[in-house]
Amino acid sequence: MSEQVVPVVAAPPRPKVAIPPGVALAMLWLGLMVATALLADVIRPYGITAMDLRARLQPPVGFGGDWAHPLGTDELGRDVFSRLVESIRMSLMIAFGATIIAAVFGTTMGFLAAHFRGWVEQAVLMLIDFQASMPFLILALSVLAFFGNSLPLFICLMGLYGWERHARISRGLAIAANAQGYAAAVRQLGATPMRIYLKHVLPNIASTLIVAATLSFPEVVLLESGLSFLGLGVQPPMTSLGNMVGYGREYLTRAPWILLSPSVVIVLTTLSVSILGDWLRDRLDPTLT
Amino acid sequence: MLRFVALRVGRALLTIALVVTFAFVVLRLSGDPALMIMSPDAPPEALAAFRQAWGLDEPIWLQYLKYFTAILQGELGQSFRDGRPALELVAERIPATLQLTLPALALKVGLGVPAGIYAALHRNSAIDRAVMTFAVTGFTVPSFVLGLVLVLVFAVQLGWLPSGGQESWRSVILPVISMGLGGAGILARFTRSAMLEVLGQPYIRTASAKGVPWGQVVRGHALPNAAIPTVTIVGFMVGTLLAGAVVVESVFSWPGVGRLMVVAVSNRDLAVVQCILLLVSATMVTSNLIVDLLYGVLDPRLRGTAPAGGGH
Repeated sequence: MSEQVVPVVAAPPRPKVAIPPGVALAMLWLGLMVATALLADVIRPYGITAMDLRARLQPPVGFGGDWAHPLGTDELGRDVFSRLVESIRMSLMIAFGATIIAAVFGTTMGFLAAHFRGWVEQAVLMLIDFQASMPFLILALSVLAFFGNSLPLFICLMGLYGWERHARISRGLAIAANAQGYAAAVRQLGATPMRIYLKHVLPNIASTLIVAATLSFPEVVLLESGLSFLGLGVQPPMTSLGNMVGYGREYLTRAPWILLSPSVVIVLTTLSVSILGDWLRDRLDPTLT
Repeated sequence: MLRFVALRVGRALLTIALVVTFAFVVLRLSGDPALMIMSPDAPPEALAAFRQAWGLDEPIWLQYLKYFTAILQGELGQSFRDGRPALELVAERIPATLQLTLPALALKVGLGVPAGIYAALHRNSAIDRAVMTFAVTGFTVPSFVLGLVLVLVFAVQLGWLPSGGQESWRSVILPVISMGLGGAGILARFTRSAMLEVLGQPYIRTASAKGVPWGQVVRGHALPNAAIPTVTIVGFMVGTLLAGAVVVESVFSWPGVGRLMVVAVSNRDLAVVQCILLLVSATMVTSNLIVDLLYGVLDPRLRGTAPAGGGH
């Protein structure tokens, strides 16, 4: 049983770590996705609403289809590959937008709580508890029911997801930073609170916040695609990965390729960001869970 | 101990109050509640009666108080689709949802917890890696994708199981698997890291150094201490028993609360949405409360959260 006892030794200085192959693959896939999103207009061969009625429900290459429509076509003869490219752009845009909103909002709330303490802090903590204790999907559905749906509202709504994680982290770290010499020093020099938090505290805690954002990014992708799958997220004629799966579901028996390609993209993307996030966390901040 | 319980119950009630406030604010922000709840083409006298009943011509704080008391008395409005009380509509869907979520919960706990414990005890073994790979996959494959792939394989290709509906016990299998596998992965991951954390503690080393057999160290020292984080996650899963099946119920056309929620949101049937929101938050808050109280049982140190040292 002695092998269970691990002696505590000082960690050796960290050598330059080579990127593990899994992480490299994940980075490669994400790079491909970002490039696809940025170059969507150049890449896609057809418009997303362009119909080719003579080539309806055509299977992908390798399953009896031809290179005119490499991933096949749907019921209206729309090119699945073109729609997939456009969907990747839409889903990534929403996920990036939402993650940034959550990070900015959450960090601001955390800093406010750390700066003012007292009842401001209690109010922020209460909001954090409230957010963390409610199933977000139900909250999001309720807001969509009350306000109806539009793309900007939808992105802001997704941006409410995960803000509490950033708020909790930035509050804790800012309180700790305030107790350290550097923050006190610039305060003595007459820096405004705004300057202290943005120019001195923020750079010091940025790596932790970036890791937290990487961890919530795949969750936002899943949430968005889930809502769009239900027909309550991105609305036609716009398209997102979840939309494509929801639409393809109607043709599950006759044309499974319509839903399989966006499904594969969703899974590979969330998987890649998770792998990257776990790796970043281990490298930058192992204390985060 | 009494103080501990009172504090937790107080916090739970506060959260419910926050949810009710949230519903009130959102309802007021989104337009005339009479029109929203009753539907725009309701007869004017019905609208007037509604406005009076809900006191919409009174000052806002009084409206808020009235709204609050109405909800406390179970007045949750009527569905404008068929005019029946929203609470009744939701209540009759609950058994169908539980038919899916209870077996799914059993699958999550029954598969996830043992897998996590085993992986932690055999760290870096092949099985540990397999469990972790499974856990990450479970976390990254959305339930609707898993559900549709299961339908494609087991219903369309093999024809073994029905692809949807609620005919026999066999209709339950695919939805339960689609919901349970991901949760099992999450739970396995949490259990594993909780166990690893505990196994690194000095008291484990002490126990095994003084010659306690390893199995007994695990059962007597490691498991009880690793239980706390795991119970938190399980508690959260219990809290989502009502709400956790929104997507999967839609995939399998299952007539439960989640399906009702989706239909109500598309129809903007606000009374029903509000009713589900309140019921779900009440379930969630209750299960969080139970978990909080369980902490006290699992970890006697937490009972003394009273600042003065507690007199239990």
